[in-house]
Parts: sequence; structure tokens; C-alpha cells
Amino acid sequence: MIITELRSLRWADLFLFSLLDPRALYRQIYRKEPKSFALSFTVPAAVAVMDIITLSLLGKQTPFFYYKITYGWILLFLFQILTVIISAALMDMASQLFSFKGNIREFIILVNFSLFPRVFILPLAYVFKVFNFAPLFFYTFFFMGLLIWSAFIAIQGISEMHATGLGRAVVVYLFPTLLMGIAIFFMVILLGILGVGYLAN
Amino acid sequence: MDRNRKILISILAVLVLTSVIAIVDISMNMQQKRGAGISLTGPQIGPGVGIARIEGPIQMLGVSSPMSATSGAEGVIRRLDELEQNNDIRAIVVRINSPGGTVAATQEIYEKLWRLRKKKIPLIASMGEIAASGGYYVASACDYIVANHGSITGSIGVIAVSPNLRGLFDKLGITMNVIKSGRYKDILSVHRDITPEERQLIQEIIDSSYRKFVRDVARGRAHVQGEDGIKPIADGRIMSGETALKHKLVDMLGTFEDAVDKARQMAKLAEDAPVYDEVKSSLQQFLFNMEGRFSGRNFLNPDPRLLQYENNYRIEYRYLP
Repeated sequence: MIITELRSLRWADLFLFSLLDPRALYRQIYRKEPKSFALSFTVPAAVAVMDIITLSLLGKQTPFFYYKITYGWILLFLFQILTVIISAALMDMASQLFSFKGNIREFIILVNFSLFPRVFILPLAYVFKVFNFAPLFFYTFFFMGLLIWSAFIAIQGISEMHATGLGRAVVVYLFPTLLMGIAIFFMVILLGILGVGYLAN
Repeated sequence: MDRNRKILISILAVLVLTSVIAIVDISMNMQQKRGAGISLTGPQIGPGVGIARIEGPIQMLGVSSPMSATSGAEGVIRRLDELEQNNDIRAIVVRINSPGGTVAATQEIYEKLWRLRKKKIPLIASMGEIAASGGYYVASACDYIVANHGSITGSIGVIAVSPNLRGLFDKLGITMNVIKSGRYKDILSVHRDITPEERQLIQEIIDSSYRKFVRDVARGRAHVQGEDGIKPIADGRIMSGETALKHKLVDMLGTFEDAVDKARQMAKLAEDAPVYDEVKSSLQQFLFNMEGRFSGRNFLNPDPRLLQYENNYRIEYRYLP
């Protein structure tokens, strides 16, 4: 069954649409042809591996790399899954605030696939590393670019999901970031007050 | 749709391949840093021996391409600066594989090494296939010189080569219009014979550079022999490592590893003290070698005609067979 599904190459459409047509990606997720929930987690896994390799390539290369590439990526993968689930939950909440129908499962799949462009960071940064031409600058540059591309995929997907305009989709997408930003801001203030209090005593 | 799917599969395959290449590249780099063999111990840290490499003809700016690391005298001096500023470096092995090069570039490296020597950092020169002329000049700044039995060294002298293409120009009917501010402004022109006065002028530069060469070698080798010992063999002759040892131009016959051991000994380091070599990406080295192959570059014996057209006023401490 799984082999037949793999050989049909229908699963490749999900990756293809995430790069070329995010709206078609959502339609594919909605139709559940093929089933995409488990498959979508291959994307954060690949991103974790690519991130570890790219950072090891650009940074100081020590034997710790072997630990990173064997166990470290699993930790990063779990962290990414956690981030995806929290973000999807918050996006779902934001959607419901706009009176849209909530569907956290579809959000998780969509956010997972939206990370797909980030796997290209390795080949892009590697070229500049090999030619020793400002690799760190270009790594940052491409990282930002791919992050924007990822956001664009998720926003288009959300827009298609709720049949709404891009403006609302952007608000839904940015809601988790805003909420987490506010939470971190208050945590920093709280820690600052605690620190000042501790020093004053 | 099938075509698009296949393209995507190809992209995924390329990504996997890139990851594998990157992992191999990182592993090979770490392997190089650790030295030979796979070790289960951690990275080498602590006091050790630094390696500086002088390879190919010595000139101020080395071969520069996007694929290569910086080379040339400026690259060597930068490397020596790095080693000087690193508190873990207790001795330096200067690995030389060079037939010499331009006077100024050679002198810059010599003076840099001399400054390090005055700072009491033990310097050991290790000769590879060739460390002749300027290559030997640089080596003489070190406290101790180790040569292989078959290393080509010596060639103490100065040379300036300029082709005379007058006959060819006459044959082709080419004449040059030269408008100059002084009678010597086009000295060493390729399209006419050199005049006796011009020859004399060049000879003076050659003699002055030669005297400096002999004086500096004598200064570096003062603990072994003085200028009087150097002069009789400073006639441009090349010699093997063995002959050089007989003439006290080197202190010991041995390999690069012997030089590293000697450095550890002179710096009173442990026998297994780490060696800090220049770190280059293995992939970068591979590409650089490929580049050299494709352009047919021969560092040891470059085409002299090309050199002369590049710079007619090149006066060198160099062995030019």
C-alpha cells in the first residue's frame, strides 16, 4: 500500500505545490489525496538536518559535529515540531477570533509544508562557502529570503483555507509571532524588575 | 504533471547529494585538523607547533582566485602574524617548497621571520623538494634548518632575465615609437639591444641585492659560520641537502616530521604536542588543484617568456633552470 503510494509520486505534488502554488497545496491538503499529515513532518525533519549541516559548515568545525548530525538534529526536529504545533494552535485561535472555522490539523500540515523552501539554505550557502565569498553574509541574506518565502506560502494557504483576503491571512499568520513577542517582552520586563529588586536588596 | 514530479524528485536528489557532500567535506576538514588517522579523542588544544607554508615562486601577491586561499608574501606574513598572536604557538615550522622569487617579497618574509626570531620564538625551516635562492634566503632567517637528503637548495645569487626580440621585430618589420623623459626610461626594452651603460646600471642593482643576500644569510647562520664561509659557495650553484649540510647551509637532514619534532624539542613541548597547520577546506583544495590542472600552471618552472612580458624589471632571488 505504502509502496504503491510512493511509486505513484502523488506525494511529490505536495512539495511541488508548496514551491509553485500554495493555494493548490491547501486544496490538496483539504482533499486528503494523498494523506499528508504524517508526510508533512518530513519537512521540519529535513529542515533540521539542513540547518545543522549549514551551521556546522559555516561555523567552527569540531568533532561535536558527529553528535549534532546523529542526535542533535532530533532535538532540533522536536523543537521545530513544538514550534509548529504552538504556532498552528495560535493561528487556529486567531482564525476563530475572525469567526472562521478552526482546523488545527490542516494548520499543522500547512505550516509544515510552508517550511519546505528552507531546505535550500544548504546548497545556496555552500556555494558561497566554497568560493569563500562572504559566506556568513549570504547565509543571513538567503535565510531571511527563505523565511519570507515560507511566510508567503503559509499566508497564501491560510487565505485559501478561509477564502479570505491576504490582509486577514497575514494577521492570522502573524498572530502567534505577536503573541509570543508580547509574552517575551513582558517576561523580560518581569525579569528586569526581579533583577533590580535582587540587586537592591 | 509527471514531468514536474520528476523534476521535483531530481531537486530532492540534488539536496540529498549536497548534504552528503557537505558532511564528507566537514568530516575531511576535521580529519585534516586532527592529523592522520581516525582518533576517538577530542580536538587538539593547548601549546603546540604552528606551521607556515611557502609554496611556489615567492612574490608579493600570490595566486589569487575565488577557489584558492591567499598566498604570496602577504599571505605568508599574515599567517605568521596569526601564529605570533596565538598564545598556544610555542614554535613555528616554516615549510618551504619554493625556487625563490622577487627580491622585495623575499626580503619581507625574511624580515618578518627575523622579528619572530628576535622574540625568541623557535623557528625551524623544513625544506621540501626545493628551497633554492630566495627559498634558502627565507630559510636562513630560521634558528634551525632541516633539509631532505634530496632537497634542492643553495643557488645563492640574483638574476634578471629580459628577452631581446629585436631580431624578430626586424624580421616582422615592427618598429616601436618611444618618447621618453630620460635616456634610461626604457631600460630592458625587449625591442632593442641593451647598452653597456644600461647593463652597468642593472648590474649595480644585482650586486647590491646579492650583497644583501649574502649579508642576511650570514646574519641568519651566524651561529654556524660567518660571511667568509658563505661567500665561496654563494656563486649561484645549487646543491642537494646532503651537500648543503657539508657546507653548513643546513643543520640536519630529515623530513617534515623531524622538523616538527625538533620544534617541539626546542620549545620544550611534549612529544605529542599539537600541530596547528593552515586550515583549508578540502573541497577548496580539490577545486584549486583542478584549476591548476586546467590552466596548465607549472609553479616550479613557469614559462619565462610570459614572466618577462608581465614585468620586464623583475630582478629575482630565484633558481631558474
